[in-house]
Amino acid sequence: MKRAITVVLLLTMHAMAGDVTGKWSGAFKVDGADHDVPQLFIFKQDGNKLSGSGGPDQSEQYPIEDGRVDGDRVRFQITTGEWKFTYSLKAVDAKLAGDLELKSVDNRRTAKVNLSRAQ
Amino acid sequence: MVILGLTGSIMEFEPELDRLLHPELSYITPEGRVLPLSEIGDAASRRFSGEPVVAYLPSLSPNLSSQVVLPSGIAYVNQHTGEVLGMRTRGQTFLGYVRELHVRLAGGNFGRNIVKLSGIAMLFSLASGLYLWWPIKQVTIRGKWGTKRLWFDLHNAVGIFSLLPLAILAATGTIIGFENQVGPLIYKLTRSSPIHITRSTPPEPAPGAAAMTPDEAVAIARTHMPGAIPYRVQMPKYGGLYVVALLNPRERVAGDGNVVALDPYSGHVVSLSRSSDLSRGDRIFGGKRSNSYRKYFGNAEPDRSLASKHNGIRSSV
Repeated sequence: MKRAITVVLLLTMHAMAGDVTGKWSGAFKVDGADHDVPQLFIFKQDGNKLSGSGGPDQSEQYPIEDGRVDGDRVRFQITTGEWKFTYSLKAVDAKLAGDLELKSVDNRRTAKVNLSRAQ
Repeated sequence: MVILGLTGSIMEFEPELDRLLHPELSYITPEGRVLPLSEIGDAASRRFSGEPVVAYLPSLSPNLSSQVVLPSGIAYVNQHTGEVLGMRTRGQTFLGYVRELHVRLAGGNFGRNIVKLSGIAMLFSLASGLYLWWPIKQVTIRGKWGTKRLWFDLHNAVGIFSLLPLAILAATGTIIGFENQVGPLIYKLTRSSPIHITRSTPPEPAPGAAAMTPDEAVAIARTHMPGAIPYRVQMPKYGGLYVVALLNPRERVAGDGNVVALDPYSGHVVSLSRSSDLSRGDRIFGGKRSNSYRKYFGNAEPDRSLASKHNGIRSSV
């Protein structure tokens, strides 16, 4: 029984995102668009709460809103102007990958995001 | 073709239709002076739980309200009284769906490719029609009602008179669709090259330094573009700089052609782009280098300059 519980705990820990604090870089591509958009995030994790900033590069950063880390799931939003970006990412092999929803006042688009730790 | 024509015609009147669908948010009675942006932003922020202002979209007409972009949506404010008229949350609307249909038949990459190829198909169809019409050069309708001849004459007459506008429509649509491929050719034909706008990173502010107000940022921006009217002011919390986009009524190039980015503390200009400085190739593509919409979604998207030529022609057909 103890062995089973240990195995479950180990598997659960493996599946968790761990602390995502730090710099993450990558890109997203909007479905139907013709190019990748660069991304750079500076995450600060405090328990389940995620804050920090993100944007296309170091010089253009937007505050992270409603950020949460639950197990291996990382969710947060960014407002870049008329567009609201909602990220739903999953930690997989030291990478964050998942979906992005972009919403403006009259449009909704989706994209795929891939991030990895930046040096 | 029918879908593209219908959706394009609706898109031509998108701002008017949008206001028609939201009259209570859009129209105001002009009275008195126009309030400073900071007061307009404060009014919106107070109404919506103290949310920070992301950007201002000042009104370009006295009887239309100003908009204040907040994280939870777009607030509409009477810029003469400070009355908050309401908020629109973000999401898909009918007009957004119409645009999706026009650009990609609401079908992602597959739909976009069909739309792109339909432009070429239309050009081919027009060229073959002209080839067949040329030997007979018929523009009059002689056939009697109910005969095949009537339809043949109608096809010839309507076809030749609509050839030019349809060809321009198809050509501009094809250029928009294949901009990545056609772009280098356009720059070569216009003997120009894309203008690259560089943006320097401002120095760290001194401890305790206070940021300028949006009204001060607009005043500085206007000194660099006399006569231009601000239509968008991005707050420095979102992106690090004040970014003021202006419309020059004397110029036809829209999009983000006139943009001044300012250090929010010193007021120094970090980057400046004027539509008058755009190269001939850039003008055709509507100053795309600085357009945020294209930054996210790429070239094959509806945009102001080329798209407005495309739309203007379409609406006159």
